[in-house]
This record gives sequence, structure tokens and C-alpha cells, in this order.
Amino acid sequence: MSDYIRRLPVYLLLDCSGSMSGEPIEAVKQGIKTLLSELRGDPQALETAFLSIITFDSSARQLMPLTELMLFKEPPLQAGGATALGGALKILADCVRNEVRTSTATQKGDWKPLVFLMTDGAPTDNIDEGVDAINNVSVGNIIACAAGANANVNCLKKITNNVLMMNNLTAGDMAQFFAWVSGSIKASSRSIDAAPGAPVQLPPPPQGFVIVP
Amino acid sequence: MQIPQAAAKAQRKRSFHGEASTNIGLCPIFVRCRICHQNMSEILTAVLESGDTIEYVYDLNAPRGGMKHTFFTPDKRFAVQFFNDPKDALNPRLQDRIRTITTIYNPTLSEANGGALGNTEKTAEYFRQRFCWPVAIVRSPEFGIVCPTYPQNFFFDGEASSVLNLKGKDKKSNWFTGKNRKYLNPAERGDFRTMLGVAIGLSRTIRRMHQAGLAHSDLSCNNVLIDPKSGSAVVIDIDSLVVPNKYAPEVVGTRGYIAPEVLATLDLNISDPNRALPNVLTDLHALPVLIYEYLFCRHPLLGPKIYSANSAEEDDHLALGAKATFIENPHDTSNRPPDLDVTISALSEELERLFLRAFVDGLHNPSERPTAMEWERELLAAWDKLIPCANPRCEKKWFILRDPKSPVCPFCGTKITNNVIQLVFKSELRGKKGIYRDKSELTVFDGLPLYDWHVFSNIYNDEKADSAMRGYVSYYNGRWILVNSGIDGMISPSGMPVPKGRAIELKDGAVFLMTNRENGLLCEVMIS
Repeated sequence: MSDYIRRLPVYLLLDCSGSMSGEPIEAVKQGIKTLLSELRGDPQALETAFLSIITFDSSARQLMPLTELMLFKEPPLQAGGATALGGALKILADCVRNEVRTSTATQKGDWKPLVFLMTDGAPTDNIDEGVDAINNVSVGNIIACAAGANANVNCLKKITNNVLMMNNLTAGDMAQFFAWVSGSIKASSRSIDAAPGAPVQLPPPPQGFVIVP
Repeated sequence: MQIPQAAAKAQRKRSFHGEASTNIGLCPIFVRCRICHQNMSEILTAVLESGDTIEYVYDLNAPRGGMKHTFFTPDKRFAVQFFNDPKDALNPRLQDRIRTITTIYNPTLSEANGGALGNTEKTAEYFRQRFCWPVAIVRSPEFGIVCPTYPQNFFFDGEASSVLNLKGKDKKSNWFTGKNRKYLNPAERGDFRTMLGVAIGLSRTIRRMHQAGLAHSDLSCNNVLIDPKSGSAVVIDIDSLVVPNKYAPEVVGTRGYIAPEVLATLDLNISDPNRALPNVLTDLHALPVLIYEYLFCRHPLLGPKIYSANSAEEDDHLALGAKATFIENPHDTSNRPPDLDVTISALSEELERLFLRAFVDGLHNPSERPTAMEWERELLAAWDKLIPCANPRCEKKWFILRDPKSPVCPFCGTKITNNVIQLVFKSELRGKKGIYRDKSELTVFDGLPLYDWHVFSNIYNDEKADSAMRGYVSYYNGRWILVNSGIDGMISPSGMPVPKGRAIELKDGAVFLMTNRENGLLCEVMIS
């Protein structure tokens, strides 16, 4: 029996610049581990969610292509260098264009991708080109998380209306962020839209996280 | 309400050390350690409307559903749940609805103890195993509910999967019916017979709810946990029930289980008369979707048909809503998967008809949908037609014998070469002595148990019936025999008493009384 299950593509855009070195990057690695184990324990997420990781430091790259959860291997992460957020957005746009199946008269398309972006600094490259690039592809929700005091919130506001502020870069806050990401993916994988194309309702952000108006 | 950190900490400490509950008015979702940012798991106390208190373990990352978040008592026997949205907790109409659910509509509580009308302790105990019904209301720290936790067999153990760590996770239906099934160890997946048992259990619990006028309103793979190993199901998330004449819950349902009319009218205003809201008839869409998934491990509406090329969201909205098409619709094959192997024609004729009514006639015409009672009745009748597959490697192990003249397993194609023996039970028409009509049929296999409903015409296989075995069929020394292990007054075909411990040989055409007591059934043997 063939299955007619649509995929829910999930892209994680993770800041691996120098300021993330030490505890923060370790917390991110731990967060990805927990995220995977949480999602693999949820039947709907396991059936539908596909995960990709894009990292950025002085440049940006897709570290893991869109992969089903059971085959996903945690990539090695290292922190160092600048914050090429603009470049990461351009890569995201390319990946969405290449990896996400569109709906056609003969093909069941994927759900609109969910994007979680986490950065602790300000972009060191041209972010406007990146913003233009993602405006040209179809993405469901982009949630940007400004981690710690040095994150540039105004810049993230150019990318999406959904900006969260995480007070600091402790392991505890990072763990909560990833727990929330996993909750959001689970919710999206089972939710139905009020109307086609309406944004997916995500669970309320973790306590201590502030939604930037 | 934000409480000062120092006070919160002090309150927690006091509760943690087991002193009198001092945390009244303390909203648990604001309790959090800002110093270590670690997961808090300390013990808080809730006060119930009865005045009793219950302790629960506070967890910062408590499981959070669409409506509520859940904490557990230290012994894990009960879940203490609070609403995510404080507006819900303060809504007096919601409180009123939940209060009636825990009392006069509660089938897990006997009438004598304040539960549902006519409910005995026996039926209450029966449904306690099949519903996680709210048992108490929390008054403080805020409005909430207390539910029993699910029985242990609805949690995976460490042996459930060799590729996933599922220990302690709850057995949501879709672990067993979708592509995730392949990650489970074969013993965990059950077989066709146990899945039919799951379907019977579910249809019975829904029948019980509907009998009281209650609608679940969000029946789905998430709210029905199943244990295919034992063939049982438990219905959870009871608090969003639609109660007659009470303020309706604001749930829409879960993708894949929402009735097409609800999805198709979702954009209309809630007060618009054309807007379809969850009710008993929408449950009667979700119920056969679940039953179909249990029996065939696929969804009845998700097929290859493309409804819209614009977007996945629009396509899905039509596929499950306004344009929904049954993948096995005999008149419209546009959504039929090319590799559909086993279909509803492999079930009993009655079940096939029910599925056609649910997914063809009734898909867009809710009043045509079969009731939960019809599902329960025909699933039970199909259960009595089960026969083991002769192929020891058959994954489904059992099938419903539809045509005794051509006993072929629809799952693996193996033909049964032995004779097929059927017992036809007949009940005497009231006021017409000696005139009998068929009550039920039973297909025989070695080890088949018989119960009171195979002995008496006025007893049905339901929550009121005794579950003790009264007899069994055995293949012994080359002969098929029916052994009486607990029936008074059994009479052989030649009119001789058959005491307990003795047997009747099953020969073609033999007719005998299961019992000569009042309401006793007559049994006729048919061999094909």
C-alpha cells in the first residue's frame, strides 16, 4: 500500500558564530538530540516531519539535507567566526526550492515548511538579499529566536513577525527553546488549518521568553 | 498573576516538605526557578471542590495539549490538569459542563455514588477500564480536573520497539495503523482478531456515551489509546464532551477525523446556522475512520486523488472536507489507490454495508451514518465469524469467514482445506412455542470459547454480560466436540442431559438445546 502522507519540512537555522562557543553550542547540540528523541516518540511527527539543519558562521551551509527523522544523524557542530545570517537565508531559499515538493495537478505537495532561526548576534553580511530570497519561496511559519542580549531584534523583524527573545544563553533556556520547537512541530504535524493557507497555530512560547511585538 | 520569586520559592519548599498546603491561589504555571533554570519537579497541593486535597508533581515542561497541561500525582495514579487559557478556567459555563460530566453523566461511577442514572457498580467498573473519565474538579490553585491515569497496558514497555525508545509513551492509535507500525516489534502489533477486538471495545464505549446523549467531539488517534496485544481501547480527553443543553466546547477536532461538514464550514461564523459543529453525528464519522484504520491500517479518505494543484493546504482541506471521497467508493474510483489489496469486501457483508453507509451515503449526509450501536452489533457478529488462517506465517493470523464455501484468507490467500463448521443459535419466538428464529452464528475453530450469550436468548455480549466461559469447542481424536464446562440443563441431540464436563459431537445437521432453562437457545450445526 502506497502512502499518501504529506511531508512537513522543518528547517533549523542555527547560529554557530564565535560567540556561541562553549556552553551555548553544547546546549544547542543537546537540544537537537532532545528534539530528535521527542519527535521520534510522537507518531504524527514521526510520520510527517522531515528535518534539515542549516548553520551559519562566517559563511552558511546546509549541514543536513531534509531527512526523515528515523534516518536523521545529528551533525557535528562547531562555533567560530562571524554571523552570515543573510547567506543562511539565501541557502534556505535554495533548499526550499529544491527539496520541498510543490503541489501540481499530478503530485501531492508537501506542507509549507516550518523554519526556526536562532541567533545570538547581529548579521555580519547583507541580510536584505537573504530576506528577498525567502520572500520568493513559499514558507509557512518562520520563527526567529533572539538569544541573549546581543541579538539584533530589529534585524530579525525584517525576516519575520514572529520574533521571540530568550533572556540568555544558558543550557536551561536553550533546552526550553528546543522543547518548544518540538512542541510546535508536533502541533503542526497534527493541526488543521482554519482555512487553507492560514498560519499554523503554535503553542505559547516557553516562560521567560518574550514575544517581540 | 506574577508572584514574587522569594515567596514562590518559600511556598514550594513548604509543600515539598509535606506541610499543610500553603499554595492556595498560587498559579503553578508561574512557578519556575530563575536561578538554575532547571526543570522543577516539586510537589504542590491542589484543593478539590469536595474540600479534599490532592498532591501533584510540578513539572516545568509538563505535557501540553491543545487545551490543557497535565501534572501527575506522586504515585502516578491520577493526572491533574489545568487549562492553558486562563479564560477557559474562569468560564462558569465550561465549569458547569465539566461538573455534570464528572457526576450525573459519569458512566465510571455507579448511580449510588452519584454517577450516571442506572449505572451499577459492575458496569461502572467495566467502563473505568475503557474511559479516562474526569473524577474530580480542582478548585485551587485554579479550576482544573483530576482524571485517572491510563491502565498500564496503554503505555509501551521497553520491548515495544528495537529501533525507537518508546518506553513509557502512550499507545496512540496511529503507532499501529500507519507507516510507524514497521518500527514496532511484531508482538506489539497484534493481529486482525485483536484489532477487531479494539474496534469492538471502542464502538461500545462510544455507544455508551451516545446512549446518554453525550458526544465526544474530538475522537481521534490521539484520544483513543489502543493495546493491540490485548485487543483493548481506552477513550481519553473526556472533558471536551458535548453535553445536552450545556455550553458547547470550542473544539474542532483533529485532522483526519473531523467530519467533512465541520471542515467544509469551518470559515463560517460560529453563530451561522450553516456552520456544522461537533456532535453525535460527527462522532459517527470519526468512529468508522478509526475502525477502518484498525482493520486495514490505512485511512479511508487519503488516497491518490489531487483535489487542488494550488497548495497542499487547499488540497487537504478539500480531500477531508467538501470533496472527500472514500478510497473504496464503488461509484467513484478517482481516489482509489492502484494497489488496494484487501478491501471491505473481505469483511462480513453487514460490515461492508456499514462502511458504505458511513463513507459513501453518509460521508456528506450525516444522518445516513450508522450509529455506534450498529457498529458494535455488526463488529460482534463479525467476531463470531473469525477463523484462524491456516498459514502459520500469515501476519494477520485471523480473518472473517464471509463465504463458508470458499474459505480463503484475504490477507495471504491461503485456502482452508478443513471443513468449516458453523453453529446457528436460534431463539424461541415469544408466545409461539416450538417456533424458532436465528439469533446469531458462530464459526467454529479448535479452542473456541462459548459464553452466556451463546446459551441464552436474552443475554447479549455487552457490559452487563458475565465474561465467564461456559463451554468450548475442541478437535479431539479426529472429532469436533462442544464441551459443557458451565451450563446447567444442556440437552444432547437425542434428548439426553449433557452434564458439565461432558460433550456433544458436532455433526452436520445436529440440533440441540444449549439449555432447557428459560430463554435457552437452540443450536444447529452446519458443516460445509
